Amino acid sequence: MWRSLMNLRQISQRTISTASRRQLENRVPEKQKLFQEDNGLPVYLKGGAMDGLLYRVTMGLSVFGTGYVLYELMVASMPKKQK
Amino acid sequence: MAHQAHSYHMVDPSPWPIFGAAAALLTTSGLIMWFHYNSSMLLTLGLISMLLVMLQWWRDIVRESTFQGHHTPTVQKGLRYGMILFITSEAFFFLGFFWAFFHSSLAPTPELGGQWPPTGIKPLNPMEVPLLNTAILLASGVTVTWAHHSITEGNRKHAIHALTLTILLGFYFTALQAMEYHEAPFSIADSVYGSTFFVATGFHGLHVIIGSSFLTVCLFRLIKFHFTSDHHFGFEAAAWYWHFVDVIWLFLYMTIYWWGS
Repeated sequence: MWRSLMNLRQISQRTISTASRRQLENRVPEKQKLFQEDNGLPVYLKGGAMDGLLYRVTMGLSVFGTGYVLYELMVASMPKKQK
Repeated sequence: MAHQAHSYHMVDPSPWPIFGAAAALLTTSGLIMWFHYNSSMLLTLGLISMLLVMLQWWRDIVRESTFQGHHTPTVQKGLRYGMILFITSEAFFFLGFFWAFFHSSLAPTPELGGQWPPTGIKPLNPMEVPLLNTAILLASGVTVTWAHHSITEGNRKHAIHALTLTILLGFYFTALQAMEYHEAPFSIADSVYGSTFFVATGFHGLHVIIGSSFLTVCLFRLIKFHFTSDHHFGFEAAAWYWHFVDVIWLFLYMTIYWWGS
């Protein structure tokens, strides 16, 4: 019974396809190469196109939001018109 | 290319500090808009930008350390001091709420019926779900220590199992507390008893969620081979924070749940 259990274990370990096996391998050296490339990019943009997009979205929200806060503060500090 | 003649980390210019400050402005102003003008747009904007800043800032720290190698032993020492100081500041934060609890419960006013728990308040039985929650957090302290030992011994499989178990225990605690909150016979509006109970345990619950998130990030990094057996400070910081959350619960349990009933 143990031998058949051991066989089952070996089979389940062997059925991982090549594609998903790459996900279980150590890909840190690839990342190290990417982030140590001498291209003058700061770390917050060095990962690729997605970095730039995320940066622009964050900046957009912050700038728009700050402007909106200043607008609301102005409105809140004006006296409400009495009829 | 110039090379540094010291072991410190001179960081690249980064937009996250100022965007983080803007996010804090948006969140606090958003709270005011929500409380006084019934509008939650600014608050939502603030919380989303806060989330974006946190994700990108911490992503960059992982890049600077694991991928660029900037975290020398000197830098790591500074990070250790930083984390310890942060946790100490959190301890003082909770100290305030414990002070408030003892202020009200050691000398209960006539309005409360001169007793603690106040007249009409039916406290939760400390020997039921709260005791289970104590056992859960204590067990999670054991599993996180098991995970740490597994990392230092290079045992990847055990480390992943132990850390996963720690996170699951954290989720179990949160789920049980949520259920307790829903089923409690008293609310936050029920005199100073309700205020002290829900504010203290509520902030603790928030810290459990933060700690669980930190541990989850560490689990992803562990699976992706970011940690080595002698350099894994991110995990150690998460484990320290988790032990702190556990200790705060023990104090909450002994004082508010047990003595306070």
